[in-house]
Amino acid sequence: MDLLTLSFAVINGLLIGGIYGGVALGLSLIFGVMRVINFAHGSFLMLAMYCSYLLWASLGLHPYVSILATVPFLFIVGYFVQGVVISPLFKRERALVVEPTSALLLTAGVYLVVDNIVLMAFGPDVRSVAVDITYESIFVAGLPINLARLIGFLAAIVVAAALSFWLKHSEMGRAIRATAQNRDAASLSGINVQRVYNVTFGLGCAVLGLFGALLVPFFSITPNIGLSFGIKSFLVVVLGGIGSIPGSILGGLLLGVFESVASQFVTATSAAIFSFGLFIAILLLRPAGLMGRA
Amino acid sequence: MRHTLTLLLGGPLLVLALAIPLFVTDSYILHSIAMVLFFAYMASSWNFVCGYVGQLSLGHSAFAGVAGYVTVLLFTQLGVTPWLGMLAGGAFAALLSVPVGYATFRLKGPYFTLTTIAFAEILRIWLENTDDFLGIPLKGAQGLTVPPVGGSSFLAFQFDGKVPYYYIILAMLVGVMAATALMERSRLGFYLKAIRGDRDGAEALGVDPTRYSLTALAISAFLTGLGGAYYAQLFRYINPERNMGIDLSIDMAIMTIVGGQGTILGPTLGALLLHPIGEMVRATIGGSFLGLHLILYGLMLILAVIYFPKGIIVPLQRLLDGRARKSASRKAAAKTDALEGKGQ
Amino acid sequence: MSAIEKISEVKKILDVKGISKRFGGVQAVSTLSFHLNQGEILGLLGPNGAGKTTAFNMIAGALRSDTGEILFEGRSLANLKPWDICRLGIARTFQLSKPFGGLTVLENVMVGSFVRTAAEKEARAEAQKVVDFLEMGGKAHTDADDLTAFDRRKLELGRALATKPRLLLMDEVVAGATPNEAGEMVHLVRKVRDLGITILIVEHVMKVIMGLSDRVIVLDYGKLIADGPPKEVVRQPDVLKAYFGERYVDARA
Repeated sequence: MDLLTLSFAVINGLLIGGIYGGVALGLSLIFGVMRVINFAHGSFLMLAMYCSYLLWASLGLHPYVSILATVPFLFIVGYFVQGVVISPLFKRERALVVEPTSALLLTAGVYLVVDNIVLMAFGPDVRSVAVDITYESIFVAGLPINLARLIGFLAAIVVAAALSFWLKHSEMGRAIRATAQNRDAASLSGINVQRVYNVTFGLGCAVLGLFGALLVPFFSITPNIGLSFGIKSFLVVVLGGIGSIPGSILGGLLLGVFESVASQFVTATSAAIFSFGLFIAILLLRPAGLMGRA
Repeated sequence: MRHTLTLLLGGPLLVLALAIPLFVTDSYILHSIAMVLFFAYMASSWNFVCGYVGQLSLGHSAFAGVAGYVTVLLFTQLGVTPWLGMLAGGAFAALLSVPVGYATFRLKGPYFTLTTIAFAEILRIWLENTDDFLGIPLKGAQGLTVPPVGGSSFLAFQFDGKVPYYYIILAMLVGVMAATALMERSRLGFYLKAIRGDRDGAEALGVDPTRYSLTALAISAFLTGLGGAYYAQLFRYINPERNMGIDLSIDMAIMTIVGGQGTILGPTLGALLLHPIGEMVRATIGGSFLGLHLILYGLMLILAVIYFPKGIIVPLQRLLDGRARKSASRKAAAKTDALEGKGQ
Repeated sequence: MSAIEKISEVKKILDVKGISKRFGGVQAVSTLSFHLNQGEILGLLGPNGAGKTTAFNMIAGALRSDTGEILFEGRSLANLKPWDICRLGIARTFQLSKPFGGLTVLENVMVGSFVRTAAEKEARAEAQKVVDFLEMGGKAHTDADDLTAFDRRKLELGRALATKPRLLLMDEVVAGATPNEAGEMVHLVRKVRDLGITILIVEHVMKVIMGLSDRVIVLDYGKLIADGPPKEVVRQPDVLKAYFGERYVDARA
């Protein structure tokens, strides 16, 4: 592989990796606060992509404009899913941390429902959004950089920074951080933990609303792409340290570059093997450190 | 008390199951019932380790697929009877499960689950993209077919009607339940439940969690492999998506969890409840609504986790136990009521 | 001194030689040495954070010691996993008793007895003996999840006894118990010792440990500051300062 191909692969990997990081932000936030791994994380991203697609196909809205709809919509979906589906678990477990497998099972149920509702509504066909930005590139040092990916990458950085800032300085953000540290103490000091959980879950999904819309210009969609995004997001947060926002972006960049370079050597379909392989390798090499908080 | 349900429910069910082919002659219906038994068998095999040790594997389809491939390839390439092929396939799956289990059982909760998915997906994607491996024709995503030998042949595991297939899977299901019952009463069963209850506590009582989890996993993989081989023989066709995709793993897990993990009858109960629902939806309105039955599965899973976290077998058990106890304890209850003054 | 020499003629069952443990910047235990004689009840005392539980966990194999070694009946416990240590004949209880849910009291105890036999019948018979020993026969078939906190504690002791240990490590035997329950537990621990089992107890409740132990050792900041009969140790100035000083007075107030 020559240097040009390699640098192209690395740049592409960084761009897509940033987006992976952005997509994983919600998973990390939700785990950090609620200690729940959301199995349906990728499905919510898929849902956002279909929303954006639908608005484009029916109303001709540019995906970037559809953000105005997808973000609030996904927030509501997340808020509702936590409030109705997941919160009974917390109520049952009272003061203890929710049993991780039950939460995983619940969200696996959500994954089945969401994926198959979309499958039912849209069928299994591959769909894509054709807008001008799909093909636009800028050149840096003679290398073409796809504009849509660059925008997605930058958005990930901005969202991560904004989220960190908001968590630190807003009242709700402080409540979220307090709940993450000690749910019972937070509850005793007057924080409405149920509401914090709802908002956290909604927020984690709202971020997916954004990235769903940013992804559709260059990413074809089918109803089953959610799971692989979900697993990649999990890998990203494991790489970057679960619960950490900058870690999420860093983990995304790592995965993106790894995947992009690895896929230079094999066909596109088998490239996924590398992500899964990396996932297993990472978990096996430092299981103790990872389980510390699980 | 615990075994009353197994006997009360299991006995009549078995008699009914044995008699079904006598009055069900429609081969489509018989096939459908055989499929219920197949899923009950697969769920029971999954339950053998996951239900007792309390970990959620979503990679079990890999064991089914691998064993299916071994069986089909041994038959088509070397002419080995699928009966032996099945055992070889099961053994191969058990062997495969040891390194996979050694790696994954150190992980907990979601880490374990996602790693099992990763293992199974690697295998599936590799198979889908491999037409030929060291001279063995795997035929990638297209899959393999088993050529018909013409007519019924016991040795070739090929039969004209559905009845033999039905009785084979029924026997397998009874076998897996018997194996589970034996395991429950053995040291292995006690140890698995101890690991599920409190891993540190179990370790302090002399239980090496990895060793016993692996033993159970290998047996479970073997049983799952037998099921996978049966599945391939029933349809005389195998491909990576269908026979080792994540959907099969999810089916096994959901049926067990809805029915009741860590019980002998739970997985079968789950299959009896869920598979017919799925089948009916598919047969009636499912044609125009792809995926509707999975939506129902998902909803059932959510409801079960919230309302019956130990499976629908628990309320059922309570019902039967309660009825049995009611007459016996009526006097005692009356006495207590009299003493406490029956308010409420 | 001659008294101590006499004691050391008795067989040492456990010999802890200079173990230490560091967590990040905290030296939880530093070069701790002590021993247990066959058949005695040794109390391990110390204020909160003195390193008692860390030392306890190192002996039980749940934590690895940074230095030194631990000998059980002359055999090093280095690199042994908790289950190996249990098979050697050391049993332990936990501060928080978690029964194995979904199993009855008898079945919980059977998990322990299975370490000495693979046969279900034999394990059941052994477990029944232990349940009777604990005077829990009436609750043998109760689901362990339905037990009271104190019964859980007794059950945990039973599980440990079922492994037929020669050394029993107990972490906080009467924490949270009512005076009556504490009395019952003390009675049980004595009964266990009468079986010939050597016992190491980590305990906060002073009254209990003073009445129960043949000998106590006191830890402070990870170091051994006293070793001797309960009544003598209480009088040592170091101990008074570290443990019985303000803290004891506060606790009584």
